[in-house]
Amino acid sequence: MALQAKELIYGAISLAVSFIGIAGFFVSLDAPYLAMLQIAVYVGAVVVLILFTIMLVRRDEPDKDEAGETGEGAAGLWLAGLLAVSIAGIAALAGPNLPSTPPPANLPISQLGPVLAGVYPIPLIILALLLSGALLGALILAKVER
Amino acid sequence: MVSYLIVSAALLGIGIYGLSVKRNAIRILFAVELIVNAANLNFVAFARYMNPPKISGQVIVFYSIAAAAMEAAVGLALILVAFRLNSTIDVRKLNKLKG
Repeated sequence: MALQAKELIYGAISLAVSFIGIAGFFVSLDAPYLAMLQIAVYVGAVVVLILFTIMLVRRDEPDKDEAGETGEGAAGLWLAGLLAVSIAGIAALAGPNLPSTPPPANLPISQLGPVLAGVYPIPLIILALLLSGALLGALILAKVER
Repeated sequence: MVSYLIVSAALLGIGIYGLSVKRNAIRILFAVELIVNAANLNFVAFARYMNPPKISGQVIVFYSIAAAAMEAAVGLALILVAFRLNSTIDVRKLNKLKG
């Protein structure tokens, strides 16, 4: 699993594998464009960035990763398990009201572009500005002062 | 439909567990990515099972993927700076602001 692997590099690789799995779910939900985007952005960009950062901050001594000794580990496990089980239970209880078979698909990829640029143009512009701002900010943060 | 929701809830649970238990900042970033992916999966599933299916869910996930990529870039830059200043990325040890 991505979080439990002893070596951080293996954790990053299994994170990439789980992202590919989610891309598979997108394919099964008739969203092939999103699956392509998921693989390109997450597996191609984010995981590679994480791998470079791991190599830059790497230390040889194995550091203690769990907050086990204070019982935080067990408490976190209980919290997360309870949350997940309750949400899954609500979903299962609402199951009879939810459709079990999807309505016939009529979502061509060509429809995505007009909706993206025609119905929601302002968020697209804001996203572009935010993206360039965030990347410039990351560049300035990571720059070595000399 | 229910199976997608259960997968998404499991991803959310794993992410919350990682956020609350892990000490390595990079692993906390992994957990955040898992939670974002759970939300994306829910958006696409609900949009697909609507009658008639809507494409707006996919548009929102498009924005969300871009936002998550930004967040990863900025977060990793912050981790680099923290490592350079403190030579550790253990978030329990990054407590310089504590008096």
